[in-house]
Amino acid sequence: MNKTSISLKTGEHWLASPTTRVLAALIIVFVLGLLFNADGAFFKWGTHRDMLRAVSVYGILACGMTLVIISGGIDLSVGSILALTAVCFSLFTIHYQTAVILAILVCLVISSLCGIMSGAIIARFKIQPFISTLAMMVFARGLAKWVSGGQKISTAVQQADGTYQYVEVPGVFNFINSKLLGDNITVVTVIFLICIVISYIILTKLRYGRYLYAIGGNEEAARLSGVPIIKSKLLAYGLSGLFCGVAGICQAAQELQGDPEAGISYELSAIAMVVIGGTSLQGGRANMWLTLIGVLTIGYLEKILSINAIGEDKRLMLTGAIIIAAVLLQKTKK
Amino acid sequence: MKKNFVLAVLCAVLCWAGCKKTTPQAAPGTETKNETKKWTIGMSQCNLGEPWRVQMNADIKMAADQHPEISVVFKDAQNDTLRQQAQVEEFISAGVDVIIISPKEAAPLTPVVAQAYDKGIPVIVMDRRVLGDKYTCFVGADNKKIGRAAGRWIVQKLGGKGKVVELKGLMTSTPGQDRHNGFMEGIKDSQIEIIFDADMKWLEPNARKEMESALARFPEINLVYAHNDPGAHGAYLAAKAAGREKDILFVGIDGLQQEGQAYVKQGLLSASFEYPTGGKEAVEAAMTLLSGKTVEKEITLASRVFTKDNIDAGGEWLSE
Repeated sequence: MNKTSISLKTGEHWLASPTTRVLAALIIVFVLGLLFNADGAFFKWGTHRDMLRAVSVYGILACGMTLVIISGGIDLSVGSILALTAVCFSLFTIHYQTAVILAILVCLVISSLCGIMSGAIIARFKIQPFISTLAMMVFARGLAKWVSGGQKISTAVQQADGTYQYVEVPGVFNFINSKLLGDNITVVTVIFLICIVISYIILTKLRYGRYLYAIGGNEEAARLSGVPIIKSKLLAYGLSGLFCGVAGICQAAQELQGDPEAGISYELSAIAMVVIGGTSLQGGRANMWLTLIGVLTIGYLEKILSINAIGEDKRLMLTGAIIIAAVLLQKTKK
Repeated sequence: MKKNFVLAVLCAVLCWAGCKKTTPQAAPGTETKNETKKWTIGMSQCNLGEPWRVQMNADIKMAADQHPEISVVFKDAQNDTLRQQAQVEEFISAGVDVIIISPKEAAPLTPVVAQAYDKGIPVIVMDRRVLGDKYTCFVGADNKKIGRAAGRWIVQKLGGKGKVVELKGLMTSTPGQDRHNGFMEGIKDSQIEIIFDADMKWLEPNARKEMESALARFPEINLVYAHNDPGAHGAYLAAKAAGREKDILFVGIDGLQQEGQAYVKQGLLSASFEYPTGGKEAVEAAMTLLSGKTVEKEITLASRVFTKDNIDAGGEWLSE
């Protein structure tokens, strides 16, 4: 009697581990892909490579989003900051022909500053993250439109007399857009994986990572035990901004232009990916690998719907249903 | 304490900004400027998110700059129907001489346009229609006709048969529906086969994703018909990444100078069909109205097709 209950318990424990539950959602989606393989398209590596490419920009945003959500916050401004960086990066590299390293650095500084600004308002003035980053979402979108004059910044450069002159696509765009390892993985995917690893190191190897968990778990307790709340929060939103900058550069390179309208509603996709990864929106609980699985789950779902040419109406309904199913899977029984 | 200080600084800044504003009003230059501007045109644009609409405003501004006696006040409704209603009401109470509106939706904007029309203010409606006939004139192009022309052009280009991918604009919007229905009419009696279609919602990243799926699924694709040029460009980039851009032709719609025309010039798209903004025509109509003459109720804009062969000559006008 006792024995069986123990084995049952350990069995439950194994099934109850967050990783298993999050993986289960991914496996279900993957099996769907195997069943509905669109005449074998799902069995080609190219399909998976393309899925990884398409999901990379969202994934990079999800890295920053995970850090912020762990601290008990949320960042709604990621899509707008992405657009702002995409526009700035295109302006620097296409129009002004700035050195690539300098352009990247300036863009990352701009995006980090946007994040730090939200962070400062949240930490210093105790404004709710939802409101503060909502304001930044609107502000950064406006800034992106203002900087670009409402037009896409592309290789067609308008001259003073209204005519257009066509310039070459900068080399850095082509590099980010290219593939590595015998055409098997895109550069953006590699950048995404690097972002995942960096976030993982921040969360598990640095003292700062434990600060974030502590603040998200119980801010008052963290403050009493000497965690520098304001600095930590500033850094969390700054890092989220930094990742937005990286994503924006990737977005510009993939579109060969800086679109001030890019990234609209990307924040919702990023949040969905983090949540499917089992992260609680109340903070204090998350894991970078689980976010990666969340990213892959959404990525595969979109890819399977796309290769089967499912209509938009059914796509939205199925996506909604899968998100709910995935979150329900993670709900621990009490 | 610190909070009070911040508040004080904010107040000071606001006061300073407020004071600053009064200075240019007192400047003598502005008054004379107002005297030379005899007429005011109020322009309400439903949103400035789409490059095409930015272009429409730019065209209106460029045409208006030719006439020193008119000034144009631009308002952006940011895709908000109620805001656009309010903007027209503001124009009425400001007493502008002509209203140009590119409405977001027909039904909710019909009453306020009629209100202006009844008060004797000429209203020029652009691109999307309002209901009834209480407006002065409508300026717009015909999406269905353009879709049909694209269909016929594609039939001719492919010799009557081939495998086509259709990347649709937002299919809940009328331009998306018209560009699709017109296209289907255009290819009706041919052996053109649509092997893959998807709703890319006018957005380039979506078009690229969908095209990747089409490429993974079909080893042979002859042509991509996208409902706008960014969609065609996204499809081109996907094909290029797969090393198949040389085997596929790409056709888009809109033909903006910095988008569709540029892509044709660079050899990325085989053709781009112009969807003219009508900005210039609207200002011309306004000038005619202001000089006391009447204009036609319907001004249908002609469109051009841009291909590699005719782009340097400024495109070719579509017959029909």
